[in-house]
Amino acid sequence: MVEQTLHSLSQFLPETTLTITFCISILAGLILRNKPKVIPVISFAGILLATVFAVRQMGSSQAVFSGMIVVDPFAVFFKLLVGSTAVIIFLFSIYSQEVQSTLKRLVEYSSLLVAMTLGMFLMAGAVNLLMMVLAIELTSLSSYILAGYTKEAPDSSEASLKYIIYGALSTGLMLYGISILFGLTGATDVYAINRSLAATSVNSVALLIAVLLIIAGFGYKISAVPFHFWTPDVYEGAPITITAFLSVASKAAGFAMLIRFFKISFIDFNLLAAHAGGVWGLLQGFEWNKILAILSVLTMTLGNLVAVWQNNLKRLLAYSSIAHAGYMLMGVVVLNDKGLAAVLVYFMVYLFMNLGAFYVVMLVANKVGSEDIDSYKGLGYRSPFISVAMVVFFISLAGLPPTAGFIGKLFLFAALLDARWVWLAVVGALNSVVSLYYYVRVVRNMFLRDPEGSTEPIRFSFPQMAILLLLLVPTLLFGLFYSPIVELANASVLMFGVR
Amino acid sequence: MVEIQSYLILSAITFIIGVVGVLARRNAIIVFMSIELMLNSVNLTLVAFSAYLGDTTGQMLVFFVMTVAAAEAAVGLAIVIALFRNKQTVNIDDINILKW
Amino acid sequence: MNFLGIGTLSWITFLPILGMIAVLLLPKENRNAIRWTALAITFLQLVAAAFIFFNFNRGLAGINTVEGMQFVEKVSWINIKGVPWFGKIYVEYFLGVDGLSVPMVLLTALISFVAVIASWNIEKAFKGYMVMLLLLDTGMMGVFVSLDFFLFYVFWEVMLLPMYFLIGIWGGPRREYAAIKFFLYTLLGSVLMLLAIIALYFSVTIPDPTTGEKIYTFNMLAMMNPANFEPGSLLAGTSTYWRYLAYIALFIGFAIKVPVFPFHTWLPDAHVEAPTAISVILAGVLLKMGTYGLLRIGYPMFPDAANHYSWALAVLAFINIVYGALCAMAQKDFKKLIAYSSVSHMGVVLLGMSAMNTQGMLGAVFQMFNHGTITAMLFLIVGVIYDRAHTRDLDAFGGLAITMPKYTGIMTVAFFAALGLPGLSGFISEAFSFLGAFQTHRYITIASTLGIVLTAAYMLWTLQRVFLGQPNEKWAGLPDINGRELAALVPLAIITLWLGVYPSTMLDIMTTSVNHLVEFVKQGGAAVAMLPK
Repeated sequence: MVEQTLHSLSQFLPETTLTITFCISILAGLILRNKPKVIPVISFAGILLATVFAVRQMGSSQAVFSGMIVVDPFAVFFKLLVGSTAVIIFLFSIYSQEVQSTLKRLVEYSSLLVAMTLGMFLMAGAVNLLMMVLAIELTSLSSYILAGYTKEAPDSSEASLKYIIYGALSTGLMLYGISILFGLTGATDVYAINRSLAATSVNSVALLIAVLLIIAGFGYKISAVPFHFWTPDVYEGAPITITAFLSVASKAAGFAMLIRFFKISFIDFNLLAAHAGGVWGLLQGFEWNKILAILSVLTMTLGNLVAVWQNNLKRLLAYSSIAHAGYMLMGVVVLNDKGLAAVLVYFMVYLFMNLGAFYVVMLVANKVGSEDIDSYKGLGYRSPFISVAMVVFFISLAGLPPTAGFIGKLFLFAALLDARWVWLAVVGALNSVVSLYYYVRVVRNMFLRDPEGSTEPIRFSFPQMAILLLLLVPTLLFGLFYSPIVELANASVLMFGVR
Repeated sequence: MVEIQSYLILSAITFIIGVVGVLARRNAIIVFMSIELMLNSVNLTLVAFSAYLGDTTGQMLVFFVMTVAAAEAAVGLAIVIALFRNKQTVNIDDINILKW
Repeated sequence: MNFLGIGTLSWITFLPILGMIAVLLLPKENRNAIRWTALAITFLQLVAAAFIFFNFNRGLAGINTVEGMQFVEKVSWINIKGVPWFGKIYVEYFLGVDGLSVPMVLLTALISFVAVIASWNIEKAFKGYMVMLLLLDTGMMGVFVSLDFFLFYVFWEVMLLPMYFLIGIWGGPRREYAAIKFFLYTLLGSVLMLLAIIALYFSVTIPDPTTGEKIYTFNMLAMMNPANFEPGSLLAGTSTYWRYLAYIALFIGFAIKVPVFPFHTWLPDAHVEAPTAISVILAGVLLKMGTYGLLRIGYPMFPDAANHYSWALAVLAFINIVYGALCAMAQKDFKKLIAYSSVSHMGVVLLGMSAMNTQGMLGAVFQMFNHGTITAMLFLIVGVIYDRAHTRDLDAFGGLAITMPKYTGIMTVAFFAALGLPGLSGFISEAFSFLGAFQTHRYITIASTLGIVLTAAYMLWTLQRVFLGQPNEKWAGLPDINGRELAALVPLAIITLWLGVYPSTMLDIMTTSVNHLVEFVKQGGAAVAMLPK
């Protein structure tokens, strides 16, 4: 028992590092009360270290802590994704006015970011429903507070309240679903659930209700329609850095859990083992992927259509991120490794383009003091470089070549057509045409309209530009040379205990 | 001996009352109370199934759910206080800067 | 045929990118340096195109064989090793030209060069304009030389953004509307095309040259060989539901570019609002991409569907010809008239293509080139008068032949070429197209000849309204056409005259390839029809 725990601890290094970093950050905040700027450095270093430890876990595949958590390529991939996002968010925070204007509470900010990252790391590897709930809660509780971080601003605390109400509601629904599933299968471990479902037939109505309720919990995390109501409000009200973090990392962790839960719980392993090509069969004839297909269509269509009417860029990006969740759900619907690989490719691409867009919004908001689309009028003439970068990010989000976003869409559509989900692919393709319309609205304001008010050039410092390039270069490069991301995705769909 | 169905029906009813409370009530405090009700009906289901299946996992889960409920309530009330300082209200209908 | 270790086609495609970088580095106040750089680059491109034209082996057919392609460049670009559930991904940087693409390459280089001359005096953000123009140039050229579908699609989409900006920033009063309309229409077409591309991608495999393992490929030539289609894949077999559907998806993608009725509504807006040089490029090159795409991709990859739907294409061609001509007749705006005349003339290309025989197809490809040069002239002519009078209202003019004699001379050549007067290039290609189509779709072709009459009517009527009659006092002081404008128009006029008298200069280039294409499509359809279901 002791040995096993010790071994588990050695495989738990990234999470341990984050836990220790969290504690040190809080303690350092108490001791170094006069030097608040030191704490983010500590947290940053901790997250960086944890990410490095996660890189070193690559290729290993085992269950630790008596099957509560697994370390497998799939989990490591999402840890890397979350870790890199957190690192980039810390870089953003250096230039965020919202964060820098509340120096005294920098401790809360950076230590809660660490806690949130920890929660997401756990979400990536959790294979027990109990662990999943706890990981979600750790992430959510930290993000509730961070969403309301600038508590003097009324919209920030309002966002926070809406967030926690919707969050608690979905947690409640999910827990109820888990309790029913526990009743049906007598297990909370996903592998045990799979074994139980494979061995005995259960009441299909009860199973459907349980899964629908659990989807409510996941759907809330990935902001899928109809569990998306919190997203626009929280994205608009929260500080931009937090919004960016939620839009990428939180969504990624949610997807990691959703995919793992469905893939391990409801796939016929015997069939999978019999075919090298990775044919998936569903246990109990329970076609949950149809449910996800409907969710996906609703999510992307609503996200895109509502985004067309938005005038606040943060809110626009919130709806666009809802739409992107819909695109990625298409990959899950396909029910094979191609689909999953496409989702992973999409996430890597999404990391760069979405963070890039939020970063530009933040830089501009710092100078102009507004996130309104109208305040972008003539920006192309006041700050050409930033505007061109924004155009690249938007084109990538819309999925046009030669940007990385195109590669993401390409692989998603490829997976769908390969599995003969032609109608879904057509819906996705038409959606990306709609999405272009609202992205281009911003581009139009930047280049086709003349500046209103001040026409002074807006300048940014060199480090600010360097961070922008860090996101811009991959967005363009992976659009033309995408072998590395596809190979990483192909290697990362492997889950512990499957095949 | 009470049948398991009775427990399940009871917990389903309290759960639905909780959900309706969250969706329909306008006072933030009552909304949080309704969420507590939801979580407690989850606990009831878990305990009932646990006894029925003779498996203690369910009872163990209950402890975690209680912790989660406590943490959510703590954070939630803190946020309500922060909001009250800004707006002098806990009515959800008055919290309407952000919409569509 | 390399220069500095890089092939001719790469040079011709990426020269504008080099020029773009050079222009970006120049200070924006130095307008002269910018315009001369752009001119030099497009001139070099034209020289390279001429080089290809003169060194092109007229005996090789191309279309579906690598051996028949010329100036081939083939480099592995993306190579992702296979995993059991995900076949090997292999994308090549694969360029090459045959008789279909050489005229288009020449046309693109020529029109780009002319467009730079026509943009000499753009006022607003000159540097940005030239950057966008050069980027657009690369996109256009790339579409005509790439033989890998992935590469083709990238170039196809690269054009969209520069075009959006060129119309949206430098266009007329309703530029924003026109620009977004163009953008959305084209994107709608290209996402459908993308789905068709992916479906093709998963249906076609070629053996790896070294290991013999199956690899999925974007190679266009491989997609043309029915033997490469995996049995049981989505697009395998012949005349299946999915094959027709994929063909229609591809067709819509290309039809929006042509534009085929009913997808044409973006065209009048875009042409009217765009600045002169951009209208020239739109009409001269971009519209040809649609028909080129059909010939290069739609026909040889889906011969069954192409044969099956040839009547539908003929009907659409008829609508384009007659409807375009009628719309043109009703216009008071000079530029809109030319825009609708493009719809009508592209209908002739479609009609020639629907013929499915050598004459018709030859006519179609030749008409693509001729329409490119003639419409470019027409738009330049409109630009000249608009620069002077700041109006395009046809009724406002009259008697310009007296004030602007040289201008009238050039314009007469262009107009007569457009209405298909014998001795000018337009006549040859229209005659070929109609003759070819007459053999296949007799009644539709007879009905379509109505379009010729209508074209003659509106062209002559316009000529009369603008140049003849009582001189309008208001325009008495208009200066005649100047040297720069002549420099843009005269080469095009000479080509029109030359090809009218001596068409085999261009026909020689295409004949072998077009013959081969016609045979291939005929055989492809027939051979496939004999296979057991």
